[in-house]
Amino acid sequence: MLLVLLAPLGSTRAEAQNLGAIEISGRAKIGTKIEKITRKRFYLFRGGLEANRAMLDRVKASAGVSRDCFYCRAKASPEYIAWLKAENCESPFCREITADDITKVPEFQAAYQKGLKQFRGKTDIAQKWVTTNLPPELRDGFYRQEKTLLDTLLAGAKPLQSSMTDIVTIKAIFIDIALTAGKTSETFLISNLVPIEIGGKGYVWACELPNGPNAKPTTLQPTFPVVNKSGQKCEVYVRDLPVCAGGSCEAK
Amino acid sequence: MRNGYRIAFVVTVAAFAAVSFFTTASMTKAQKKGGFSHATAAHKKQECGSCHKNPTANWVTARGFPDVADFPGHVACFACHKSDFFAGNKPAICAGCHVNPGPRGAGRFPFPASNRQHEFSTIFPHSVHQDIIASNVTRPPVAVAHYVMASFTRTPLPLFDDKPPTFNNCAICHQTRTALPKSVPRIPAAMQPLADPAADDFAPKPGFFRDLPQGHASCFTCHFQGIKPAGTDCASCHKLTTPYTDTNEVKRYSLKFDHQQKDHSARDCMTCHVRISQNADLRTMKDADVPFMACASCHNHGDDLAKEVAKRNETAAAKQPAFQCTYCHTPAIGRFPVPASHQGR
Repeated sequence: MLLVLLAPLGSTRAEAQNLGAIEISGRAKIGTKIEKITRKRFYLFRGGLEANRAMLDRVKASAGVSRDCFYCRAKASPEYIAWLKAENCESPFCREITADDITKVPEFQAAYQKGLKQFRGKTDIAQKWVTTNLPPELRDGFYRQEKTLLDTLLAGAKPLQSSMTDIVTIKAIFIDIALTAGKTSETFLISNLVPIEIGGKGYVWACELPNGPNAKPTTLQPTFPVVNKSGQKCEVYVRDLPVCAGGSCEAK
Repeated sequence: MRNGYRIAFVVTVAAFAAVSFFTTASMTKAQKKGGFSHATAAHKKQECGSCHKNPTANWVTARGFPDVADFPGHVACFACHKSDFFAGNKPAICAGCHVNPGPRGAGRFPFPASNRQHEFSTIFPHSVHQDIIASNVTRPPVAVAHYVMASFTRTPLPLFDDKPPTFNNCAICHQTRTALPKSVPRIPAAMQPLADPAADDFAPKPGFFRDLPQGHASCFTCHFQGIKPAGTDCASCHKLTTPYTDTNEVKRYSLKFDHQQKDHSARDCMTCHVRISQNADLRTMKDADVPFMACASCHNHGDDLAKEVAKRNETAAAKQPAFQCTYCHTPAIGRFPVPASHQGR
């Protein structure tokens, strides 16, 4: 369920401006199933689909790499990938690496042993700082890849804001959105840009939201296939993501 | 012969005195005072790592984790300041690090010296770190703050529909305080109060506040090595600035906000701290971190805020002393005009 709320806000800073707020709730309906889009970032741009067409064309043309495929190509152990999968993490910084994790995941064990030597046998530091001794690809390689992809897609364009959906209410928030001077209504584009993995496929939604100071809250549910409701228009780009099999990733 | 020795002695002493005089005369103001300035033209040219080693040899005892825990050694200074080391019996340069300057004064100040002004501001991009550690829910033992990302629409508690996952969160750096900090009201800029503050005996408790990292402990957990900026890349996080004294005061618009109150502690930091999650440099943040709508999402449903605004308007219309809003604020803030953000909700 993508919930859009645009409400003009006043503030001491913004008395000369119209400030808006948009609330995005990401419960995607894929077919008949509701999928929670948690901890995923959405970007806000001024203008609608056509005004941002060049960027969206790049999004459509880009190939995504799934998390599992990335780590598979990086020769991560099945235990490492399982640790990430257990809480839908994309990196080892996602959650605490416990002593139990260190015994079970070879990469954590190797980094821990390195840390024991480096940190003069201090087991607490070796454990807490275990990520500092992980190989770079496994440590932040996926983040860097996603960042590179994002920079390529943006190609110098600057989103007005970006915001992440949370893991309970599955919502993200944009606030302090200034309308162009003199305008009482404006169209914005919201997109995740970087594919969101759902069931082996990558989904990118791009939704334009016309709104004005008196706009009432509207609800837009990202769906595939797309279902547009009044005043809002979405495009969704879906691509099969490569699957890791036998240590290599083949395109589907 | 005796006269010869006397003359030689006098000449030697005079020579040493002359060396001391001219050496001292060429020292900077900071050096004369025994202080060290990172901002001199010569020091600014140096890489931080040319003087500061990370970690220093004493990290185990001084910090318990690898850190810059001591002043640079003499080698760092000697190349340029050789003559300063021999300027008199108590060379002024020694006072930068040593408690008792002089050949036998080995004792050093704690590092960093807390009685000196800060020369650096610290850059921390919350926006970037949100991707890594922002969204989180910790398994909630009762009475321990657990962070649940909620929206501005009122969401009933409990918020989990299944087993709560465990993720890193803002508490990595910001812990609940156990000691009461010095807190002062954050006076709205460019506004004049409508009245003197009414008497008020409100006293916050330590748990109302969260602390800030005071050293490298939380940073180096990830950034000691590998991840940029790494622990040897000091200048990426520490920017030279006009020297200032840290007041350690916590400034708030709403001193009455209690982070430990059960309905607050059940929510995620990002529920309210929206602006900071999109901020790359705290120095650029002018507005309050928490937008008014974050509060109003819960506290306007019972007309809490609307009532106070209405009372203010009544007193204004009746030309009475302005009603001071104290539901969220202490009178120090509640006596100011109602900002536009509070109107029309």
